[in-house]
Amino acid sequence: MKLPALDHSNPDSWRGNLPITNRYTYGLAGERFFRAIKDEAKIFGTHCSKCNLTYVPAVIYCERCLNRLDEWVDVGVVGEITTFTLLYMNSDGSTRQEMDMIAFVRLGDGGLIHRLGEIDPGDITIGMKVEAVFKPPADRQGSILDILYFTPKD
Amino acid sequence: MTDRFAQYPGTPLSEGDFENKSVLFHYDEMHGEFAWDTGIAIRRYLDALKQGFLLGAHCRKCQKVVIPPRIVCEWCYQPMDEFIPLRDTGTINTFSLCYVTWDVQRIKEPEIPAVIEIDGASPRHGILHKLGEVDPRSVHVNMRVQAVWKTPDERTGAITDIRYFKPITEVGR
Repeated sequence: MKLPALDHSNPDSWRGNLPITNRYTYGLAGERFFRAIKDEAKIFGTHCSKCNLTYVPAVIYCERCLNRLDEWVDVGVVGEITTFTLLYMNSDGSTRQEMDMIAFVRLGDGGLIHRLGEIDPGDITIGMKVEAVFKPPADRQGSILDILYFTPKD
Repeated sequence: MTDRFAQYPGTPLSEGDFENKSVLFHYDEMHGEFAWDTGIAIRRYLDALKQGFLLGAHCRKCQKVVIPPRIVCEWCYQPMDEFIPLRDTGTINTFSLCYVTWDVQRIKEPEIPAVIEIDGASPRHGILHKLGEVDPRSVHVNMRVQAVWKTPDERTGAITDIRYFKPITEVGR
């Protein structure tokens, strides 16, 4: 049998898509942390009395002395900008229509990475006090995005 | 060990906990898109499947015939540039009855993947495919099988251009 000619219209690469899905649960501390954001618009940390540290977001074990942490602390919704960046690019590398302002906001001895809002990018300074702006209660899902952004606190 | 399980019971969750939202969670999808360059030999193999036949490669030095074809002999490292069409019949080398699908759904009628030694290829050379038109209880090693193809206009140049292999009975074997 003679081999038929190669059909060059056929593809020379094999294309596919791996349907990977995942469901992440937040764990004992994360569950309570996000419940507080959703139901009370509060940000909680856990305090280690031995190390005198308040972890934000809350964790159930001290990462320094490994003690179980049971002391939950309302750290308030006002933090301090430790560092920030201006994002002009999406995660897929495409250019953003609107620039995003991202900051690490210090709360307790930890903090949250989140958006900044209601501020001119030129006015952002390190050490600035910023306050969390929450979605209306009905819209909150128990997610970090239940906080819309942090905005300057006078 | 059982004592330690009692000491650290963990937090069991069921599907119902997600459905009635008694637990918070984040759902995400990763888009694992890929394009795999088939190379010379597999491209010819897929092209042959689209045309309705199986393709192997022959090593002139080792006198081996392998399927799927490759361009270098795994035994002597010589180039294998002789592609040869093979028959679409073969012999079951090993098989499994699977009652769970790839995405972990339980099924009543098993899927039956099998390694099939293709006629014309060297002994112990074959491909992995599925069996069909067969009673799962009757499947056995050394069973003779033949490919059941999609129609020419359904074929795309993929291993699934063969729907499955089904048992054949042959006189004189």
